[in-house]
Amino acid sequence: MQLSKHARDVLETSMQQNKIDDAEKKEIEELISVLPQDRVVIYKNVVSNPIGDIYRYNIHIRIQHMLTFVTFLTLAFTGLPIYFFEAFWAEPFNSLMGGVNVSRVIHRTIAAVMIFSMLYHILTITLGSVARIKLGIFDIRRTIIPLFKDIRDFKDDILYFAGRLNERPEMDKFNYKQKIHYFAAAFGNLVMIISGSSFLFPAFWASILPESMASHFQELMRLSHPHEALLALLVIAFWHWYNVHLAPGRFPMQWTFLTGKITREHQIEEHFLEYLRNLVEDPEEREHLLDMMESRELLTEIGDEANPKSGDS
Amino acid sequence: MIRKTFTIILVLLSCLLFSNVAMAIFEDDEACLMCHKYPNMARITDDGARRSYYVMPEIFTNTVHRNVPCRDCHNYINELPHKPVDTGVTCNTECHSIKNPATGKPFSHKIIYDAYSASVHGRKKIETSIENDKPYCITCHTNPLYNPNEEGPPKHVIDRCVLCHEDKKFAEQWYKHTSRRIKEVKRSSIEIVALCSSCHGDKKLIDRHVKRAKADNRELGKKFPVAVESYEHSFHGKLTQYGFTKTANCLDCHAEKENYYKSVHEILPSRHKDSPVSKENRVATCKRCHVYADENYASLDPHPTSYRDDNIFRYYAEKIYNMIGNIAIAALVGLSIFETIGRRRDGVAWRLIHGTTWRRKSKRGRDRIE
Repeated sequence: MQLSKHARDVLETSMQQNKIDDAEKKEIEELISVLPQDRVVIYKNVVSNPIGDIYRYNIHIRIQHMLTFVTFLTLAFTGLPIYFFEAFWAEPFNSLMGGVNVSRVIHRTIAAVMIFSMLYHILTITLGSVARIKLGIFDIRRTIIPLFKDIRDFKDDILYFAGRLNERPEMDKFNYKQKIHYFAAAFGNLVMIISGSSFLFPAFWASILPESMASHFQELMRLSHPHEALLALLVIAFWHWYNVHLAPGRFPMQWTFLTGKITREHQIEEHFLEYLRNLVEDPEEREHLLDMMESRELLTEIGDEANPKSGDS
Repeated sequence: MIRKTFTIILVLLSCLLFSNVAMAIFEDDEACLMCHKYPNMARITDDGARRSYYVMPEIFTNTVHRNVPCRDCHNYINELPHKPVDTGVTCNTECHSIKNPATGKPFSHKIIYDAYSASVHGRKKIETSIENDKPYCITCHTNPLYNPNEEGPPKHVIDRCVLCHEDKKFAEQWYKHTSRRIKEVKRSSIEIVALCSSCHGDKKLIDRHVKRAKADNRELGKKFPVAVESYEHSFHGKLTQYGFTKTANCLDCHAEKENYYKSVHEILPSRHKDSPVSKENRVATCKRCHVYADENYASLDPHPTSYRDDNIFRYYAEKIYNMIGNIAIAALVGLSIFETIGRRRDGVAWRLIHGTTWRRKSKRGRDRIE
């Protein structure tokens, strides 16, 4: 396989950051060179464990996801029946929580937990990034920060889904979908915290804003809180749960949020650049991949990357 | 002849028995019950409604007006049978029979009546114009029972009273009068909102007044057409509907806090400088509950709506929110469907079985080697 310029850069940066010695470098290069040129053939022919093969999320991220998951749903189920109080389902939901007297206390308490979760997350990623910078292993492409490449990836992915491209783009640890989702959630969290606090402390917000803005701000917050909540719930229901539960290849669910691991075929298909780093960082993964490709006679002769020995149907 | 005499005696005995029962409960010195004791004492009004004139003495005797003779209020009745009534009772009439124990003067509701008359709700008893839509005393006040949840004064209380006051009847009356007033007789927030909504939530009535004000080139409150609807959707309104008692109901803001029972009869238009919700008084009114309220806080809209005429900022903000929301959801659902079609074409299956999800035949000709 001949890597693209971008993939080659990612691989070399990773080898450099991981201080890979020459012997290992040679081994990695040899493995890459005998892989089939077509990435589709690779991810279609690997063997994956449904609960995950490759380490992706540390325990902090998994705890934060769990906190977000629990707080988000609890906040939605205690908040929406208060806003849509005339809907037929509002009263049963409120009663289920013990009435509004109870649900509003739950709502505010869980909101505090959600804020804690957000701060915990900011602390984790900040300290993690600082540590990586200090160790000289920080690579912005491996973070959730949006880059211009994401726009290209989005365009190429759409072309692939439309049948105009033969394979999906080489995407990084976090692809464009995950970045949109992450920043939508971050923005949503911020909106919910500010608007929620404007309900809880209206006098404080009115006192720090000019009189001409105080009323407009409150109006905006009154609209933002339920609209953002509903939008978030629909995005979660229609998109996030689609991506992690309902999408072909992910059904009935991805176990990553519990095990912290992603399946091999998923990593190669949607996060190929990260998979190259996995090959650099994990000798066992190199062995597994080599064995799998060899058993299916998909390895190419060195220097003949375009034509695998056999089996490429 | 004997049969006829027997029938007359039976009827007379029955009347005597009936009137005795009534007399035992309610002293009908003016013989009004002679006719009004009959349940079918009623008429059909011009607009087809059935108006009942039936008085149940056993109920009336437990009401706050039990000691007021009928003609103290119905003072236009001068003969029996009386002529058709076209004026009705006005609540500022002085009672001839009941004296105010504090002043010795004839008792009346004049103080409250005058306060009400000067308020935005004030009207005459008989109105033929649009003013007839305004509430009169009986729109809000019926003739309430003393203690509807008690069959009578508790025996242990009366037993104690009569040790000094001797007269059991006096003790019972005094108990009813004081116990009702000592207990909280203020309407609940839900009842207050329902009462105000019975007129302010009547769309036809509101439309009539909006049109008339327009024709008269008269100013109406900005929230007048949407008062009930906007309150119901506000924080205060929602919490009130859920039974909260510490949340503001209509009267908590629109009436003065001091001397509540009088001030609720003195409601003024919000644009009147003496109204608690006027620009001049709004901060003080908000501070009744929101102790940190200032000018900025008082500028917040407690009755928000998204109607263009009411709040143009919110109108467009909501439109933009809805547009963004709809586009976002449609785009994400579209992308998900698009992705499913695209990857299915390439041979992906729904579930990961035997180490792979790429078990299907691909239309692009690159399948897993089994």
